[in-house]
Amino acid sequence: MDAEKTKAVNEENINEDELFRFVEYSPESAEITGYSDYSYWKSVFQNFIKKKSAVILSIVFIALVIFSFVALAIGKFDYKTLQPNTNMAFQKPDSEYWFGTDNLGCDYWCQVWYATQTSIKLSLIVALGEGILGVAIGCLWGYVRSLDRFITEVYNIIQSIPTILYMTLIALMVGQSFKIMCISLILFNWLVMARNVRNLVLIYRDREYNLASRTLGTPVWRILTTNILPYLISVIILRLALSIPGTISLESTLSYLGLGLGVSTPSLGLLIRNARMFFLDFPYLLLFPAVIVSVVTITFYLVGNAFSDASDPKNHV
Amino acid sequence: MIKYTVKRLLQSLVTVLIIVSIVFLLLRMLPTDYYFTEDQLIKFTDAQKHEQLEAAGLLDPIPVQLLHFYADIARFDFGESRRIQNGVPVVRVIGNKFGISMKMGIISVVISLIIGVGIGIFQTRHKDKLGDHIGTGYTVFVNAVPPLVSYSLVLIFGSRVLGLPQLYSTRDTVVSSILPIVCLSLGSIAWYAIWMRRYMIDEINREYIKLAKIKGLSEKQIMVKHVLRNAYVPLAQYLPGSLMLTISGSLLVERFFSVPGMGPLLTDSINRYDTNVVQTLIILYSTLSILGVFLGDILMMLVDPRIRLSDKGGSR
Repeated sequence: MDAEKTKAVNEENINEDELFRFVEYSPESAEITGYSDYSYWKSVFQNFIKKKSAVILSIVFIALVIFSFVALAIGKFDYKTLQPNTNMAFQKPDSEYWFGTDNLGCDYWCQVWYATQTSIKLSLIVALGEGILGVAIGCLWGYVRSLDRFITEVYNIIQSIPTILYMTLIALMVGQSFKIMCISLILFNWLVMARNVRNLVLIYRDREYNLASRTLGTPVWRILTTNILPYLISVIILRLALSIPGTISLESTLSYLGLGLGVSTPSLGLLIRNARMFFLDFPYLLLFPAVIVSVVTITFYLVGNAFSDASDPKNHV
Repeated sequence: MIKYTVKRLLQSLVTVLIIVSIVFLLLRMLPTDYYFTEDQLIKFTDAQKHEQLEAAGLLDPIPVQLLHFYADIARFDFGESRRIQNGVPVVRVIGNKFGISMKMGIISVVISLIIGVGIGIFQTRHKDKLGDHIGTGYTVFVNAVPPLVSYSLVLIFGSRVLGLPQLYSTRDTVVSSILPIVCLSLGSIAWYAIWMRRYMIDEINREYIKLAKIKGLSEKQIMVKHVLRNAYVPLAQYLPGSLMLTISGSLLVERFFSVPGMGPLLTDSINRYDTNVVQTLIILYSTLSILGVFLGDILMMLVDPRIRLSDKGGSR
């Protein structure tokens, strides 16, 4: 008891200057205190790698894309020099015709891979264009109040007419080609993206940190790109991932109806359209394009979902 | 409520009017030859054509034509088909077709509602077990694979294994409608299943469900009386729209199975420049889809009395 009392008395007697001492300033240690190992994209990548199935699927997808180029090169026939030869029609797959021949006696291997390539190319270009246009318009739509009414009306008008109607009008009045298809798909696909982005921008626009940022004089584009956009990344990625199977589906539907790519560009829809009357008797005509395209779309769908989960900052620890 | 309804309907009317005017103006850019049937084109001289166009008011300035067009619509006079069916009133052209599409469509909506919601409930009850994974596999497949491929698979399975007819025939409508209806339902079953599962899982983790469990309600009572009723509210919004759009049919399914329904009519009429049919169909489709959203909102409000559309104060 006594010892404690004396200790307390002693501490009271110590001068304040002796209790605290100055630390020398060192720039390195000043940096260390504020340092965190967190990096957004690294964390996204780590989360993604953890999902083994998604990694395997993305390898399958990339391998298939690369193979679609290799396949055309190693095939025995070139698409551009194919000649209809009715004597050779409906050859079962063999060493000469790896995927058999179609009703006109043309090699099916090069047609299937060319179609796969067309589908992938188209959907990637459309996804890119749709992403840029959709995010830009969505940000404006959500952020600039005076534009809200106008863009909402435009959205309603475009949205309430079925896509197939526009595509019909475009195909018949403008024409059919790869370029036209890309542009017209981008022009209608941005709607969904822009709406998703707009709804999120509305949610984050008036949060306190943005209010603070605005009062500090941050320009609008910086608020949009650095304060709000990071919250949108997972939604944008999800939308893009879904847009690729969607574009492939829409392209095949339109080409089947004769409204898609021109007849000279083989695409999935065209192949199935030509095979429609024959594939009950010659199932390989359906099997090859169907399996390849389904693998492309399913893998991309699943990979996109996994990547979107990984890119959601709420799932990062 | 009434004020809201009236305002909303007037707004929709304006939207429809804008859409129709745009389409009307687009169609006026076509050459005037398309106003004649193919027979007339061969027989008439240029002077006769001119006379006919003059009489029909088709050489008037565009704004005048537009006003006439509005007046015709207001009297529900949609004109005659000139190319698809020679001189037959458009209303009759559509009347002959929409029954088939609508019958198939409504059957498919009912089927997919029952099966889709059923799958959703099943998946929720077996969450993270085999049943759930099978259901997810189905929805991923239907969503990712192009419909053309899945329809072809249905066709091969249906005709090879089950011996069903490959194409629709007017002689045996019941049996030959089976495959088209299955194809129509594939996608919407998956859609209902995904969202049903999503909303039900959200709902199950709510506090009131915990309370219900503590109160000692059986699993079945909780599912039916609480979870299902609440989870169905967001889906109810889409029901009127999907029912109304059955009239327009499905272009792809009807082409694929040669069903003489509404689906291909629009593309055919555009293809053959049958302007009156195109205009009428667009009026019909845009009215239906806008009305569908509107009725959906009303239905949602009836199903869930907490939702009020007219009172938006405070929510920006």
